[in-house]
Amino acid sequence: MTAIRIAGGRVHDPANGVDGEIGDVCLADGKVVADVGPEARRLDARGMVVLAGGVDIHAHIAGPKVNAARKLSPEERRGHPMDRTELLRSGTGGVIPSTFATGYRYSLLGYTTVVEAAAPPLAARHVLAELRDTPIIDKLFLILMGNNQVLFELIRRSGGAASSELRDAVAWWLEATGGYGVKLVNPGGVERFKQDNGNVHSLDDEVTGYGVTPRQVLEAIGGAVDELGLPHPVHVHANNLGVPGNADTTLDTMRTLGGRQAHFAHLQFHSYGGKTGGQIRSRAPELIDYLSAHPEITADVGQVMFGPAVTMTADGPVSAALRDLGGDKWLNHDTEVETGCGIVPYTYRAGSYVHALQWGIGLELFLLGRNPWQVMLSTDHPNGGSFLSYPKLIRLLMDRAYREDQLGRANQRAIRRTALLDGVDREYTLNEIATITRAGPARRLGLRDKGHLGVGADADVTIYHDRADREEMFATPRYVIKGGEVVVEDGELRRTDDGLLFSSRAGFDPEVNRVLEPLFGERYTVSFGHYPVRDPALREPVHVVEAAT
Amino acid sequence: MVDFGPVTCAGCALLCDDVLVSDADGAVRLTPECPLGTAWFSERARQANAPAAAIQGQPAEVNAALTHAAELLRGARRPLLHGFDGATVEDARAAVALADRLGALVATGGVEALWPGAPAVPLRGASTATLGEIRDRSRLVVVWREDPERTHPRLLERLGFDGDSERMLAVVDDADTATAGRSGMQLRWTRERDLEALTILHALIGTRPPETVHARELDQPLSGLLESVRAAPHMAFVYGAGLTAGAGGQRRALALHELIRALCQERHAVTLQLLGPPGARSADDVLAWQSGYSGNVDFASGHPELVTATRPLDDFDVALLVESSGAAEIAVGSLPPGPDAQVWIRTAAAGVSARGTAHRLDGVPLALQAPRPDDAPTAAAVLTRLLEAVQR
Repeated sequence: MTAIRIAGGRVHDPANGVDGEIGDVCLADGKVVADVGPEARRLDARGMVVLAGGVDIHAHIAGPKVNAARKLSPEERRGHPMDRTELLRSGTGGVIPSTFATGYRYSLLGYTTVVEAAAPPLAARHVLAELRDTPIIDKLFLILMGNNQVLFELIRRSGGAASSELRDAVAWWLEATGGYGVKLVNPGGVERFKQDNGNVHSLDDEVTGYGVTPRQVLEAIGGAVDELGLPHPVHVHANNLGVPGNADTTLDTMRTLGGRQAHFAHLQFHSYGGKTGGQIRSRAPELIDYLSAHPEITADVGQVMFGPAVTMTADGPVSAALRDLGGDKWLNHDTEVETGCGIVPYTYRAGSYVHALQWGIGLELFLLGRNPWQVMLSTDHPNGGSFLSYPKLIRLLMDRAYREDQLGRANQRAIRRTALLDGVDREYTLNEIATITRAGPARRLGLRDKGHLGVGADADVTIYHDRADREEMFATPRYVIKGGEVVVEDGELRRTDDGLLFSSRAGFDPEVNRVLEPLFGERYTVSFGHYPVRDPALREPVHVVEAAT
Repeated sequence: MVDFGPVTCAGCALLCDDVLVSDADGAVRLTPECPLGTAWFSERARQANAPAAAIQGQPAEVNAALTHAAELLRGARRPLLHGFDGATVEDARAAVALADRLGALVATGGVEALWPGAPAVPLRGASTATLGEIRDRSRLVVVWREDPERTHPRLLERLGFDGDSERMLAVVDDADTATAGRSGMQLRWTRERDLEALTILHALIGTRPPETVHARELDQPLSGLLESVRAAPHMAFVYGAGLTAGAGGQRRALALHELIRALCQERHAVTLQLLGPPGARSADDVLAWQSGYSGNVDFASGHPELVTATRPLDDFDVALLVESSGAAEIAVGSLPPGPDAQVWIRTAAAGVSARGTAHRLDGVPLALQAPRPDDAPTAAAVLTRLLEAVQR
């Protein structure tokens, strides 16, 4: 493995308190090291900005829902062909790229680790196979547990507590699938949708037929994840996504998790005021206030970007609502016992009141947030827009004049209902950008060797020309180094090694098999013994992160 | 006596994974019984006695066959990869990689059957579900011009119709099929009237008060179906080539999906597409994630292009058959494929002699076991070696 000295760059490494200092970063054997010998390859980074590789804490890049979206919208990719070369596989780009294209394009942006944020455990083999075909980047996936009938039964038996059986079951599921963390999507609501198009509307609505409420699901599974000491806390897509007034539900959910570590996904979609049936308004400032007082909670924003998107979610009722709001295409898929899935291709328009307000609310969350370690960058790719729009989003945060120009192009009635015209003159610094795109997500994921450039960190580094146009700067890294190897130079891919799969592991009592097997037998159409993924070709190469307990 | 099990049976796209296999005096028995599964397992097990490879019909070493196949592929002007009836995910991944390198066209449907043409799902979408969802929730299951008792013998059992049930099984078919014989309601009209029937149903489901049907011989059956539909909070429509194949297939399928979409306004409705070959879903899924498109995809221009129009087979000078319905094999030759394949390589049958992963017709991925391992290479291994050879 090549030793590299990145010489003379301006280093932004907020995890280690480094804020723009000129210095060298040395890499050897896939790690950041204190020094390397004179034989090391020297990358002249004078005049350039050196950051750790990007870490995307919430995206949808692989698995049955992503693939269903590809099948649903072939026309979306016709204009984005990618030719094969001696080095690269061919593919297609667009909002939902093919797998190889996904790995290549994340790498070309300087991202080296990406989380697939919503995998049905039953489909783990499919998710793992797609991730195997997504090169270069390291990958993690979160498994969906918020509408799992077996877990509902365990929660009901325990009266809503995080029983030892439930903890063991959560750990068992992670071990069985290779998942990294636990995701709750509209707890209870997806199950109700699959029954008869129903939903839950408050945390205390009973999930018909199961004797549990969303609040109990949150408390029990959130508690189990916390008590297991998993590296990433429970990752919550709260109830009532997109519904006017849902900020009440979001705040109630945060209070319910009371004091536990938790990550809230795409907070922008959960920050709405207004009344049912009416128009949304922004309640982002309230949520930011709550976050500021509760450092145990983090969020990614789920920024809406004007242009094409594809909404894809395990939250079936949300997708059905989008269908009825004029969605041309709609795909629904119900996965037995565990979850649902809805897909609606979508376009966000600057002239639309709702879309402009969503865009503005996302910017409010970024710009009013006081702690960049708490509010992380995402577009909930591809729900709010493609990950390829990250450079533009970064420019919106770093360049006030550009932002104000863009504000002027959006629906003014919507923008006036945000705080963005109230003298919000904040411009993110490079260290803050490094925090919301690298250090913060890595720390929140419990990836100790990611997101920073201290000795012992993974040698995942991105080097940018320091351009005034931050969009151009972040779209075209000079070098991207992954695992100590230069994978991108001047916008060209040089290597396409496989990335690693990151899984987490928590101990559990094997007796839980006796609890789970009969519950599986009653519900699944797959045998209990065949459910766990054992095939090394799917699960390796893997880096296992052990739980803290 | 049970020799193996439970294992996953790849005799059809249902991929039942609760199968016990016994082998007494050379006669394979499956439990639960299934004629397709028994035939599949017996044939694949018997195939282990065939020669490892052949060149122009003469037994050959595998390495020699690979070398010859690679030469044919390297020299191909317009190569085609097809078959995939028994392919695993691993096989399909290797096949698409090879097609990408060769600039070949990948056809996940059989080239001897009707070219599938343009699918309906990309036009407006669909509502779908796994088997367990339909079993546990659908009060009404409508099987539309399919006979799963013959093609997917355990489907009705797996959808919960194996005993007394308060649920309604309805069959749309003018033929007296085995499935129709088990139904509580058979709706008879000719295939030519399917589009009309679907359109009328769509028009009437939301009417208040309910209107009656005025379409001559459709009147009575549609009225009965409409009544059942209105009474069910959750329902499923099972369909396949009986609806979608041939002229007008896309319009009929679109009409079904539009009906389901309309039904979903007030109740939950899903579809289940009956795919025949067990490898069809796996190959299609892999092709979609690697290329961005499903169905038939052409890599000739250096990148994937979706092919929806019929292509005459004589466009192709070299065809590579991956895991046909009849045998676990790789065959390279001219079209139509047959015993005159210039190169033939026996592969290990996934689910019998090799492990692998396959996607059930509803998309659920399952492990295939190898209760009778043998030394033959998997199709994935052969295709990977071919890729290495053509890259040299």
